[in-house]
Amino acid sequence: MTTEKTISLEINGRFFQAREGMTILDVAKREGIPIPTLCYHEALESVGNCRLCMVEITHPDWKGWKGLVTSCLYPVEEGLQVTTDNKTIWNTRRTILDLLLARCPDSDVIQKLAAEYGVTVTSYRKNDVETKCILCGLCVRVCAAKGANAISSAGRGIEKMIARPFDQPPPDCIGCASCAHICPTGAIEYEDTPEVRKIWGHSFKMVKCESCGRPIMPEKQLEFEAEKSGLDPAYFKTCSVCSQRKSIDTIRSAFDMKAVGLGEPVEVAR
Amino acid sequence: MQKTLTITPSRCTSCRTCELACSFKHAGKGGLGIARIRTFMFGEGKNQILTCFQCDEAACVKVCPVEALSRNESTGAIEVNEARCIGCGLCSIACPFGHMNHDGTNGIAVKCDLCGGDEPACAAFCPSRALEYR
Repeated sequence: MTTEKTISLEINGRFFQAREGMTILDVAKREGIPIPTLCYHEALESVGNCRLCMVEITHPDWKGWKGLVTSCLYPVEEGLQVTTDNKTIWNTRRTILDLLLARCPDSDVIQKLAAEYGVTVTSYRKNDVETKCILCGLCVRVCAAKGANAISSAGRGIEKMIARPFDQPPPDCIGCASCAHICPTGAIEYEDTPEVRKIWGHSFKMVKCESCGRPIMPEKQLEFEAEKSGLDPAYFKTCSVCSQRKSIDTIRSAFDMKAVGLGEPVEVAR
Repeated sequence: MQKTLTITPSRCTSCRTCELACSFKHAGKGGLGIARIRTFMFGEGKNQILTCFQCDEAACVKVCPVEALSRNESTGAIEVNEARCIGCGLCSIACPFGHMNHDGTNGIAVKCDLCGGDEPACAAFCPSRALEYR
């Protein structure tokens, strides 16, 4: 057993125990205390881009000082007093959502979240460029987690954007579309046909299921996954439905071979 | 010693109670699409139940890019950490037996977790003891 230090802290007047190294958001999620987030994902590194998870913290030793921090990044401290919802926090989140709504007026996710904080029409000038991207960077982080590192954020300030290198189809993109699936606002578009997947300017040839012909994943992704996992590429060439059918067929033929031997264990070939 | 979910096909009547018990236990509602266990009828009392084998060297664990799948050492089952899962679907393609599924609503992986060490609902509800946890 490792001797992990236990830390006790206070959230909304209730006391909780936490392990050292946890963030305030980790504890709140565990205890079911709602904190809105857009750019957080448990499997990926937190970066505090969306700023929605702001909470107010103070400490008995801090002589009344209190401040707003992003709960996804702030590590728990002994005796910390956290408030997850009050007028200041509410106003901060409202401003953030007002700004996000100005950037992405057409995003239904932002519209819905902003409406929860009473913003139905943004008080800022609407973005001229049509986009749903809130620059949270989840796509960049998931791409790094996959090991592809194909996209990145580029530029600063109002020119910041999620970009392909030199605005060309990224050479490292494997076409897995994880970026599109994880995007909280659905800003990344891709097109699937039975033959190709079009994403980030690429047109990837799809591998089809050896049994049913359903497209499974791009050829480039298959090579990448087989090399990364060390598994035989054959593992990725059958869709899950056909794999199950294969298992059933194996059992069925075992049944057929011994017409009565139903009580004996059935060995399923790998 | 770890308990095992044992399947005795000769006792199975393909009543599908296990599928219902599983989906109610895990999703709180009935629905064969979300059940982690399946029964198949080959006619003439030839029935078979399929669920995750909890492989020693599991393909699903090897391919997961975010370590959302891990083995629970106390039960021996491979469990999905739903908060970590990014819904890429790689595990269900890689499983050579087709025992990984995905929740149709959010794409999160679903698989048998042996009910976390309690008696699995499928075994508890099986009326003919075709499924046993022992």
